[in-house]
Amino acid sequence: MTIKALTLYEIQLTSHQPYHMSDGKTADSLPSLILKIDTDDGLTGWGELCPLPHYLESYPGGVLPALEDMAPVLIGADPVGPEALMSKLNMHLLGHVYVKSIIDIALWDITAKAANLPLYRLLGGLQQEEMPLYHSITCVAPEEMAAIARESYKSGIRQFQVKLGADQNWEADVARMRLVREAVGPGPLVYGDWNNGSTTLDAIRTARMISDMDVMLEQPCPTIEECASVKTSTGLPMKLDEAAYDMASLMQGYQAGCMDAVAIKLSKFGGISACRQARDFCAYIGSKMCIEDTWGSDVTTTAALHLGATTRARNLLNVCDLSGYVSPRLDEAGPTRKDGKIKIPHKPGIGITPNPDILGQPIASF
Amino acid sequence: MKISAITVFQIDLPLSEPYYLSGGRLKFELLDSTFVRIDTDEGLTGWGEACPWGHTYLPAHGPGVRAGIETLAPVLIGTDPLALDALNRLMDVTLPGHPYVKSAIDMACWDILGQKAGLPLWRLLGGDTATAVAVNSSISTGTPDEMISLIQKASAKGYRTHSAKIGGTDIAQDIERIEAITAALPADEHVTFDVNRAWLPATAIQVLNSVSARDWVEQPCQTLGECAHVASRVAQPIMLDECMHDFSDHLQAWKIAACEGVKVKPNRLGGLTKAKQVRDFGVSIGWQMHIEDLGGSALADTAAIHLAASTPDANRLASWLCHYHLSVDPVPGQGARNIDGFATPPSTPGLGVIPDEALLGAPIATYR
Repeated sequence: MTIKALTLYEIQLTSHQPYHMSDGKTADSLPSLILKIDTDDGLTGWGELCPLPHYLESYPGGVLPALEDMAPVLIGADPVGPEALMSKLNMHLLGHVYVKSIIDIALWDITAKAANLPLYRLLGGLQQEEMPLYHSITCVAPEEMAAIARESYKSGIRQFQVKLGADQNWEADVARMRLVREAVGPGPLVYGDWNNGSTTLDAIRTARMISDMDVMLEQPCPTIEECASVKTSTGLPMKLDEAAYDMASLMQGYQAGCMDAVAIKLSKFGGISACRQARDFCAYIGSKMCIEDTWGSDVTTTAALHLGATTRARNLLNVCDLSGYVSPRLDEAGPTRKDGKIKIPHKPGIGITPNPDILGQPIASF
Repeated sequence: MKISAITVFQIDLPLSEPYYLSGGRLKFELLDSTFVRIDTDEGLTGWGEACPWGHTYLPAHGPGVRAGIETLAPVLIGTDPLALDALNRLMDVTLPGHPYVKSAIDMACWDILGQKAGLPLWRLLGGDTATAVAVNSSISTGTPDEMISLIQKASAKGYRTHSAKIGGTDIAQDIERIEAITAALPADEHVTFDVNRAWLPATAIQVLNSVSARDWVEQPCQTLGECAHVASRVAQPIMLDECMHDFSDHLQAWKIAACEGVKVKPNRLGGLTKAKQVRDFGVSIGWQMHIEDLGGSALADTAAIHLAASTPDANRLASWLCHYHLSVDPVPGQGARNIDGFATPPSTPGLGVIPDEALLGAPIATYR
């Protein structure tokens, strides 16, 4: 089997509710890129990438030129067994892992369809069909965030990520954590995420004021060293996200002892192949994983669910139904949250067929 | 002062001779360069260049420069080009990573700052004289005899420092290259053995502990961690290049004693502003540095020579000039040129290179 054509689409994803993070980062309406890979056997694979602005080293405009650069390596190549082809791409164009993610997801879709198996069967087998979701609470007034948490609790959610730092007011951040913790009662997981927008001083002051509570911290500052310093100074467990993006940084997070949990995002690492390697390492060192992507609709959401479904329950922190945060849906039949959980589909491949009406006209094809 | 327009040109820069890195792994024949002209509401115009070395050398490629500028330009129009730190922060927030995109913009704004101040860049970057900077040759890999012959040709042109590319799969051949080149080198010439990441740590330790040479060895392995391990086990001073992407990599390299020197390349780091930060750090901790750009015409070379010339002699090693390897010259005769093995930065205000647009072809984009 060989790759015959690459077709790139761009759709606009609008958030149901505005979403705010530290330093003015928002995600109200964002372009998502959808890649279709066609083979000479008639199989089609789908990939998706939706960069969050100002978040990771990833932006929509970088996709087309990088894809154009890699297209000659892809066209005519065998898509089955993505890791071999991905290592060729990694030699051809260094870095730009977010562009590789969209390709890698589509290659895995084809590989699983060629095997006529749901993707999870090729990623180690099903460990759980149903996975816990978390709710990410946008950084607004503390009382409002507590209200969102209560609503979300009623819908069955038991893990709450509290976005901090949007107003650069550490005392408001203390109130956000206290009010959400109280709103959901004892038991559920509550963690405060600065999206690396804080300083060690502000983060330590905030964390010491809430260290009597059962809470976790997430990526207060840009570097692993700073996050480790915050953890050491407060004794609270720490989740890493932005600073953990490849094997070397995962090893560093492990060595620094500040990676009780970590976010494994498809486009941050470079797709399913790279995330699978990261997943296996994190399972070995005992870090709990949030397995998801930065943003997007059904293709990338469901691709990440396959990786989550093949991760042992003890290592899986949660997954995310990104496609439920935005409209339109690429595939109305895609997985949907129920009682704070989401189930993996059992169709061959990733199991998502984008609606051609939503995709519209391609922006490029090779 | 405000940025009023950003104009982008694409220029193919063919190499005079194909260029091979470490054991023939990578062959280069043509570079894809982007020239950027920044206009201001006060009538001053600055020029910058970003020219990645192909797409297999660093996480950078020519089309990506233009795509990144398309994303950055709308945010930059109307901002103050003289406020370089603020401008860099704005670029980093707008487009995280992708330093290779930002270097041309940063360079053009330094050019504007110099013109506004009426001072050459070497002065604004901290220098007291237009120091003539020793020029480094670049010796493509080959058999020991081929490499020695290339070094002798370079010597005849005035070069006294040579960067010899080694790093094949055959350990014995690399040992032979190093021993033969060291034996053939005149006493007043120096060589850096540039491995360009080709070795695994064990190979590096085997080769380097088998040779008598005590010359610099550059980027023996892929990662900073691997290079640090090698540095702790060999006698040669270690120079790092491709694994150094931002300031924190340099901080980490110092922390784990991974090297005694680095290459400071504006395009790899994101521009002169960030390269200066690394240079200043290197001076403060006693590193020795080759200061040069990743690739490009005499425009990019001249920007790097300004930074090199403003660096204390004790910390400055020779600079390689990319334009010397090209079969075209889009800025004929201008800027820092190799004269008997030395390049001197211009002393006119700003960068001191003003491209003739008639030679650049039509711009591919203008943002206002």
